[in-house]
Amino acid sequence: MSERASSRGGQSAGPLRSVLTAFESGARSRTEVCARTGLRRDVVDAAVEHLLRMGRLDARELTVGCPDGGCGSCASGVGDRPGCGAAGPSARRSGPVLVSLSVRRP
Amino acid sequence: MTLARPSTAAPRRGAPSCHGDAPAGGARPGVPVVALVGAPNAGKSTLFNSLTGGSRTVGNWPGTTVEVGRGSWVGTDRCGHPAEVDLLDLPGAYSLDPASPDEQFTADLFTGSGPAGAPDLAVVVADAAHLARSLYLVAQLRERSRRLVVALTMSDVAERRGITVDADALAAALGVPVVELDPRRRSGRERLAAVVADALRAPAPPARARQRDGADDDALAVADERFDWVDGVLMTALAERPARPTVTDRVDRWVTAPVLGPLLFLLVMWGVFEATTTVAAPLQDALGTLVSGPVTAAGRGLFDLLGLSGSWAEGLVLDGLVAGVGMLLTFVPLMAIMFALLALLEDSGYLARAALVTDRAMRAVGLPGNAFLPLVVGFGCNVPAISATRILPDARHRIMTALLVPFTSCSARLTVYVLVAATFFPSAAGTVVFGMYLTSILFVVGVGLALRRTLWRTVGQEPLVLDLPAYQRPTLRLTASLTWVRVRAFLRTAGGIIVATVSLVWLLQAVPVHGGSFGAVPPEDSLFAAASRVVAHLFVPAGFGDWHTVGALVVGFVAKEAVLTSWAQTYAAADPTAGLAPDQLQAHVHAAFAASSGGAVTAAVLAFLVFLLAYTPCVATVAAQRREIGVRWAAFGVGLQLTVAWTVAVAVFQVGRLLT
Repeated sequence: MSERASSRGGQSAGPLRSVLTAFESGARSRTEVCARTGLRRDVVDAAVEHLLRMGRLDARELTVGCPDGGCGSCASGVGDRPGCGAAGPSARRSGPVLVSLSVRRP
Repeated sequence: MTLARPSTAAPRRGAPSCHGDAPAGGARPGVPVVALVGAPNAGKSTLFNSLTGGSRTVGNWPGTTVEVGRGSWVGTDRCGHPAEVDLLDLPGAYSLDPASPDEQFTADLFTGSGPAGAPDLAVVVADAAHLARSLYLVAQLRERSRRLVVALTMSDVAERRGITVDADALAAALGVPVVELDPRRRSGRERLAAVVADALRAPAPPARARQRDGADDDALAVADERFDWVDGVLMTALAERPARPTVTDRVDRWVTAPVLGPLLFLLVMWGVFEATTTVAAPLQDALGTLVSGPVTAAGRGLFDLLGLSGSWAEGLVLDGLVAGVGMLLTFVPLMAIMFALLALLEDSGYLARAALVTDRAMRAVGLPGNAFLPLVVGFGCNVPAISATRILPDARHRIMTALLVPFTSCSARLTVYVLVAATFFPSAAGTVVFGMYLTSILFVVGVGLALRRTLWRTVGQEPLVLDLPAYQRPTLRLTASLTWVRVRAFLRTAGGIIVATVSLVWLLQAVPVHGGSFGAVPPEDSLFAAASRVVAHLFVPAGFGDWHTVGALVVGFVAKEAVLTSWAQTYAAADPTAGLAPDQLQAHVHAAFAASSGGAVTAAVLAFLVFLLAYTPCVATVAAQRREIGVRWAAFGVGLQLTVAWTVAVAVFQVGRLLT
């Protein structure tokens, strides 16, 4: 049974709950979320963006740190905010970033 | 004919005059007000410009900082009559849930709670290539009886991606008219004008019925119902060609595979360290020779010239700063190469995959998933990694992760690994360094498990997903920029705290304990040596109870780079007549281990490396721990690191001695 059907005791949950359930039960990527929920990639992407806006998901950058922890001028940071563990993808980075998504408890 | 306000429609909630103090340039008073809304980048402003031509103004909406475009749009209805509307270009909004001033403005406008009334009709500009993202707003707007038209843009982009949208089916599912158009090519404008004219004449469609009950105060349930409706709409109106696996998909099948993925990661990291040590070795030798040769000779000549030859000042500058800091600077090429290779891996997208396979291993042994981010940061520097534990919502996770971070091998420790590996294992230096990083992961896992089974038996798992970006060709700009930032930070450390540490060590080495004068004492008779000898007894069971070695480790509490500088200045001071070339330093270190290990040199060196890896990284890390988890836990952390480091080092030496 897919995450979508099972997330509310067999009753079909909506895409947002299905995506959250997929994350909570160990999905590691959006592709895996699509496979578990049966949702289109477009819907999963929109759901993740919406959950981020709602504060139900948390997205942070993941980079290796600097040798002395002085991140104020780091290329992967934004303004005076550090690149390591900064919230969301930085606007300044041109390359891909690793975004970790963790489910926040309501 | 001017578009008349329909007489059959429900009373207008917002007269055009309500918008009269909005940016000038709109249509004549009395004409219907139509608002363009939609998610950012859906083509809304392009459509607005295309419809209004030169007849538009852009300015802040009165009383707000929200920028709104306004213009007169004169189209034709189905009978060919002119149809004028007052067109508003509202700021981009994904939804009516106010997450920004722009979205608040749009929400207020459509709920009628703002100073201006709601427009007569909304044209929702929807990107056909990202329809799910665009239709959430439609779902919200359809919850009230309101005139809506959906303008479908980017159909060509969607087509290229194998997405076909059936506009008629979409209109039927949404319950509002849908017009496919391309504002860049100015196609579809006439149809849109006709459909808008029709919609303005017709009564507003009834609000859509909610599919599922959800209390209004349960924001997730309400939003979920909307997404469910959007999903249902897409199921009936959108056809998608099965996506062909991309290059990223094909590569990821191998790179993130449960068994092959970790093996490949190990191979890649081994390659990084092997390349780093191999390529950097000749550069490092050349720099070392430069520092110990011409630079030291020039300095000695200068002191001769000043008549300060043999003075304490010469000792501080040449045996302290030049030998110590100079030795550290010979590692700049090595650090630059490693940082550049890591930046390449990061920028290409591979680091994300490496994170995925490592995370999987950590979860397998029960470590909290979201502790992974600070731990990865820790491989660069432990200080920001400790700060990064703030992202963990659970206090126990925060403390546990902050206690584990010091076991991640930061780049400062790399310099010592390289020197020791090049001294004792010259043909396998890269492999030894790689082994230290593996050992670091084992420490994190082992200590993490031990903490979970003793202090935090009930720590739960936090879900976490790693969002994998597509692979891309690394950019020179970003790679160079990241490399420079990290090298600069290394240089800053060398120029700041290391200079201070070197000066302090020189001072301690200048103080005699068995007679003699300040600054003219052999290192072995100095206060530094005497204090180091006391501590060195503790390390006899680990095979490296030599005062030079232990003194360097004690100095390493300040910063790990100081282990190197301490060695360099101690051995340089022992023979102040000449500079200390890199091979001479290695010979001194080798002799010290040979003497202290009783012949089991390899076991002693491995024990030393393990101790170096596991004991307290630096004072800055302890300060960061104190700040983040309090003084008691920080003290516990230091005790934990020293206990683990000493115990494992002794075990490595004793077992190694039996085997050799």
